[in-house]
Amino acid sequence: MKTIPSDIGGESAGPVDTVDHGMKYWERQANAFRSAVQITGLTCTDELRRAAEDLGECYKDMHYFEITTSAMRTVLLEKGVFTSQELQAKMAEIRARFNVPDEMESPLKQAVRK
Amino acid sequence: MKNAASLKSTYTSAPSHRYKVGDKVVVKRSFPPGHRRTPQYIRGKQGVIERICGAYPNPEELAYGFDGLPEKVLYRVRFAQNHVWSGYAGPAHDLIEMEIFEHWLEPAGAHS
Repeated sequence: MKTIPSDIGGESAGPVDTVDHGMKYWERQANAFRSAVQITGLTCTDELRRAAEDLGECYKDMHYFEITTSAMRTVLLEKGVFTSQELQAKMAEIRARFNVPDEMESPLKQAVRK
Repeated sequence: MKNAASLKSTYTSAPSHRYKVGDKVVVKRSFPPGHRRTPQYIRGKQGVIERICGAYPNPEELAYGFDGLPEKVLYRVRFAQNHVWSGYAGPAHDLIEMEIFEHWLEPAGAHS
């Protein structure tokens, strides 16, 4: 019966993680990109949510920004904004010149901690 | 801080609507594939129309790149918690309210 992985009302969920994990560098970039794309009207929340739900079984094993970024990729591919070949080529190009550790913490949060 | 009452309402008008405040309704017990905003646990449950929120583009269509038109009427529906959850341990007067589109609602008693 269950068709949407995020429709979990009433299921046992265990304790709630209330720790603020901050945002990794790529998460900030991806989230800013998502905001910028949504402002153009190219896509909407409903469409991104649907693309996230379509992750199915993978959904529960992914983190929040992995889900939202994957959804954005799906929607942009669907709309022909770029092809998967173009995306892969661009990712390889950026990876080669971009050397920021994934785990970099927010500079603001680091300053507070010191 | 702004008083909540002074904030502009995001509700729209819904000139044509099937249900009115106080009507008893049942959420359709239906499980179609696709992007659906009606949680599984509320399907098949009976509630009362608490207010008419307005008419909005249908998110079930927006989710696939369409314009969502014609707009669908959205209601806030009130349910008793001890009706929604079997073995509910809280007070009998506990409520849950949920916003549900018209095409998910049927008049209570239509199928009983």
